Amino acid sequence: MTERRKSEEKAGFTSGLTPLQRMEIDACTLCGECLRNCPVQAVTNRPEISPPEKIRMFREFIKGTEGLKSRLFGPGRPDRRLLEDFTKALFECTTCGACGQNCTVGIFTQRLWPMLRKEMVKKGLGPIGPQADMPEAVRTTGNPYKKPAEERYSPWFPEDVGVSAKADIAYYAGCTGAYEAQPMVRGDVGVLGRIGEPFTMLPPEDEVCCGFPLFITGQHEMLEDLTKRLVGAYKSRGVKVLVCSCPCCVNIMARDWPVFYGKELPFKIRHITQFVADSIRAGRVAIKKELKERIIYHDPCYLSRGAGIIEEPRAVLRSIPGVELLEFDLHGSNSRCCGAGGAARKVFHENAIAMARLTIDEAVEKKADKLILSCPACYAKVNEAMEGYDKKVQIVDIMELVAGLI
Amino acid sequence: MGIFLSISVYAVYLYFGLRLISHALIWFRASGGLVTAGVPRAKSTCSTRAVMLLDVFSFRRLFEVDTPLWFGSWTFHLCFFLVAMSHLRYFLEPVPGCIACVQPFGIAAGYVLPLSLLYILTVRLAAGRKRYVSYSNYFILILILLISVSGIMLRLFFRPDLIGIKAFIIGMLGFSPGVLPESPAFLVHFILLLLLVPYLPFHIFTAPLVTMEARRRDDALRTVMHD
Repeated sequence: MTERRKSEEKAGFTSGLTPLQRMEIDACTLCGECLRNCPVQAVTNRPEISPPEKIRMFREFIKGTEGLKSRLFGPGRPDRRLLEDFTKALFECTTCGACGQNCTVGIFTQRLWPMLRKEMVKKGLGPIGPQADMPEAVRTTGNPYKKPAEERYSPWFPEDVGVSAKADIAYYAGCTGAYEAQPMVRGDVGVLGRIGEPFTMLPPEDEVCCGFPLFITGQHEMLEDLTKRLVGAYKSRGVKVLVCSCPCCVNIMARDWPVFYGKELPFKIRHITQFVADSIRAGRVAIKKELKERIIYHDPCYLSRGAGIIEEPRAVLRSIPGVELLEFDLHGSNSRCCGAGGAARKVFHENAIAMARLTIDEAVEKKADKLILSCPACYAKVNEAMEGYDKKVQIVDIMELVAGLI
Repeated sequence: MGIFLSISVYAVYLYFGLRLISHALIWFRASGGLVTAGVPRAKSTCSTRAVMLLDVFSFRRLFEVDTPLWFGSWTFHLCFFLVAMSHLRYFLEPVPGCIACVQPFGIAAGYVLPLSLLYILTVRLAAGRKRYVSYSNYFILILILLISVSGIMLRLFFRPDLIGIKAFIIGMLGFSPGVLPESPAFLVHFILLLLLVPYLPFHIFTAPLVTMEARRRDDALRTVMHD
């Protein structure tokens, strides 16, 4: 056993958690209310991988290594099988935060689960499958998909849109958008171009991963470096507002970048729907073309629950003349994960597809003409779930739709 | 028997105290992690603090998630508090006026307490098998139910020597245990309570803090994303 592993075992299970997170683990009343809208429960129906059961198991690990008995008689060694089961349950979660939304105490599960994943990574039990390749991919290519930087913008960037070298506004395309949901980022840039305010972007080799996939899989070594590189690059371009359409990026930028950066960011973070809704309200842009269709909007977990952005996408959609906006039964801060969250979509593929199909089913059932998304991961996953499925609905990103109607 | 019971009481409370200290060490040990709950903390104004306390005392989050369960849970906690307050008369001499004033409410709450527990049990069981079942929660719930029922039995059918009980308890608090009152019903009630103490969940200490922090976090997020 290496010295590092020995010291990590000695450190127990809470060395990377904040005091508040340790309290959160004890604050769970095991009431089970969090299972209400859990998407993993919806498709697996296995309470043994539910949030309260994970907390109960983790308490056992803490008890065995840091509890009263272990303080008096020395720490025990948790059962390896139990640790593996726990790790699998932890990584099977989409970290959508529906459990936290329904938590009767208010535990911030969207941050607690990634931090517990980090503890398991330190013990050598995680990450799972292809997630382990992410740090190396980000280190060598700047993105978790191992795609070349020169392909980051070129396949989709509209020729008629100009980018300034320096501007108050910057646009961050994000890795998933740039490589896996290109109609979405093309729409973003198209709308920004129509609004007409100058905006800047980093060169493709400098627009590296925001750190979210590493954060969510508990692999935190590079996060400080990535954050400082990106913040420094935008700062040097005089940016005051950083606009992004990926809810996961927005989430880590707004919530965690200040922690990794060490102080308040020198610019504000805004989701593209916030920026466009403001522009419509201020009269800088207007949606002129009519769309006589029934559309249904899916709230991405990290946008609604994670960043509290619920009204702005709806404001944008309601400004489309002729449109009828429908709602999912679970919407807003209670929205159901599409299955793409938590970096689980490529490991627990069947769960992810089943979850995405629940979204498709409801959109079809409500006779929506279009299913509107505003997250590249949702976009990629729901499109994937549509393949070979008998129920069909047209999937459109919100900015892809708006760009075509301005 | 009195001595044996007294020693058991000391042992149980010593165990609970040590367990609490051990957990407090886990809670407050310096964090080795970079990441906190994210989002800089918002400044707490008086109104924010008032809302945070209201969240805690009204169980707002439970109300929003499961109103039928909230009704039972809130009633149970209120009754438990009133009963505990009224029981302070056995620990204090002279009995403070405020404790004396609580007595009628404490007695009424004593009757409502088992009803609220039965209601919670019914709501939980009616929720169906799909939901998570915590056996430790059921154990505690049934234990408190038995304690409250035995308390009602003491009041209605097996009235013990209250003066003797108070003398025994005050003696125990002063580490000079006296004679145990001869009341098997009291003994059952007392032993059941002793059984409960080691199983008291620590969420009674941490949940209010986490609930307050959740409010602060929501306010901070609004500032960061919408300011």
